[in-house]
Amino acid sequence: MARKSDSPGMPAIDHEAIRELAKLLDETGLTEIAVERGGVSIRVARHSSGTGGRARGAESPVPAPTTVAASPLAADPSQHPGVVASPMVGTAYLAPEPGARPFVEVGALVKTGEPLMIIEAMKTMNQIPAPRPGTVIQILVEDGQPVEYGQPLMIIE
Amino acid sequence: MFDKILIANRGEIALRVLRACKELGIATVAVHSTADEDAMHVRLADESVCIGPPAAKDSYLNIPALLAACEISGADAVHPGYGFLSENARFAEILGEHNVQFIGPRPEHIRLMGDKIAAKRAAKELGIPVVPGSDGDIGSEAQAQRLAHEIGYPLMLKAAAGGGGRGMRVVTRESELASAFASARAEAKAAFGDDTLYLEKYLSRPRHIEIQVLGDGKGAAIHLGERDCSLQRRHQKVWEEGPSPALNNNMRDGIGETVAKAMRAIKYLGVGTVEFLYEDGKFYFIEMNTRIQVEHPVTEMITDIDLILEQVRVAAGGDLQLRQDEVKFHGHAIECRINAENPVSFRPSPGKIVHYHPPGGLGVRVDSAVYHGYTIPPYYDSLVGKLIVRGKTRSECLMRLKRALDEFVVDGIETTLPLFRALAREKDVIDGQYHIHWLEEFLARSGLPE
Repeated sequence: MARKSDSPGMPAIDHEAIRELAKLLDETGLTEIAVERGGVSIRVARHSSGTGGRARGAESPVPAPTTVAASPLAADPSQHPGVVASPMVGTAYLAPEPGARPFVEVGALVKTGEPLMIIEAMKTMNQIPAPRPGTVIQILVEDGQPVEYGQPLMIIE
Repeated sequence: MFDKILIANRGEIALRVLRACKELGIATVAVHSTADEDAMHVRLADESVCIGPPAAKDSYLNIPALLAACEISGADAVHPGYGFLSENARFAEILGEHNVQFIGPRPEHIRLMGDKIAAKRAAKELGIPVVPGSDGDIGSEAQAQRLAHEIGYPLMLKAAAGGGGRGMRVVTRESELASAFASARAEAKAAFGDDTLYLEKYLSRPRHIEIQVLGDGKGAAIHLGERDCSLQRRHQKVWEEGPSPALNNNMRDGIGETVAKAMRAIKYLGVGTVEFLYEDGKFYFIEMNTRIQVEHPVTEMITDIDLILEQVRVAAGGDLQLRQDEVKFHGHAIECRINAENPVSFRPSPGKIVHYHPPGGLGVRVDSAVYHGYTIPPYYDSLVGKLIVRGKTRSECLMRLKRALDEFVVDGIETTLPLFRALAREKDVIDGQYHIHWLEEFLARSGLPE
């Protein structure tokens, strides 16, 4: 977790307030909370993976503990009810061919049975179908990443 | 030498193989089912790959998953342990096709010894004494009758596709032969999909004595002495010891050299065990196992030779560096296979081990993957671990075994430790006077299920 030391002239940093806001973020699933009180404003934001956060000036005194690249939405993705787990061992490819557009991207709406990715093992390509309809809210593996049985691949809500 | 070995097994043997790899500086890949995520060897391995759900057929027997795991981990060799795919010639071949070395014999020898009729024929041709019998499958009941006249009763009908104690039937007199033949055929077909039978003289009170061999695949092979595994329940070995209380040095050297010579002739690669029934001073070949065996530590304790290490070395193309005259036997060792079973009913008892204290001290070895807080899964065999004890003499070994058994604590599940505590105090066992039916007779006498 990044920390920034107080610079002279700045009001005392209310770590408690920031922690409280970060906790609220997690609990509510919001992506950003901003609070102004007594002339001091605090903004706590979550950057979703792949899209980068909205850039803002360095007025926010301390980055929220959850703004880490590729932060998981849930602490343990395998426990998420919308998780799609790998049915096999192999190498995951997100597109049908090298250079082609990926099967799905974050935010895509999928129907049951629609191909989400390919897992290759011993030169055979196996399409991984969506087990249920919904929105792809997270892709948990990178193109070309080895995967094991049961490994969380995506979250579809 | 290999850079990375994938361990295609679980439990205590996976941990055993991992230990050898670590000592050789070889990277380890532990494959496991979802039920074995917390296995000790998985925790200690350099990498792990989950290959499937608990059922063995979907995980440890799942050849595509194992191959894929080799691919993504870059393993250049696979150690199959015992059981599972360790004697699957097709698996060995497929690995070879994918440029991954199978740590074991060549597929042709796995196949040869997997067919019990062919194995017996090969043994006979190689000068290994066999049980008098049909020399091949028996096509008809009439043929069986003719052979029975030559060999005499009692005799045993055996399924060619059986092995490991399965698919066998005793016939004590001529009047039983016809119906025994018909039902043995039907049972073999149902159990193994193959109703081919062969016939052997039945030995009434033999000992089970097996010879450990090691070959480098280039024509050099040695024997590493015998193990006496006569104490069995339902054809499963329970207590093994070496040297056998029944053999002297001359007999050991004799049968050992006969077997080693045969292994040289076929240029056998790897470790193997040639199993015999022994009665009235004579050895009778029953089968050969082309893999490392559960009871290999008995041999290790009296020869001070690491069999897994030797297996890996010869599989990597190394020459056999041990000469027969360099193999020395020191002292006596006994192994007890401790199962998670009720010691009286033998009902399986999987579950969480809430307190674990293995015995220690000079000459005490525990090969087990179990640990304090570990939960034994219900999907696989019930072996908790092996207690192997060594002493300078058989008496010292027995004293140490009693002490070690008494010290061993496994709480939270039932184990067969009480059975071993009783055996270590039983006169016939102390005198070494037993045979392959002894344990079942003992259990029957004690009013326990056989």
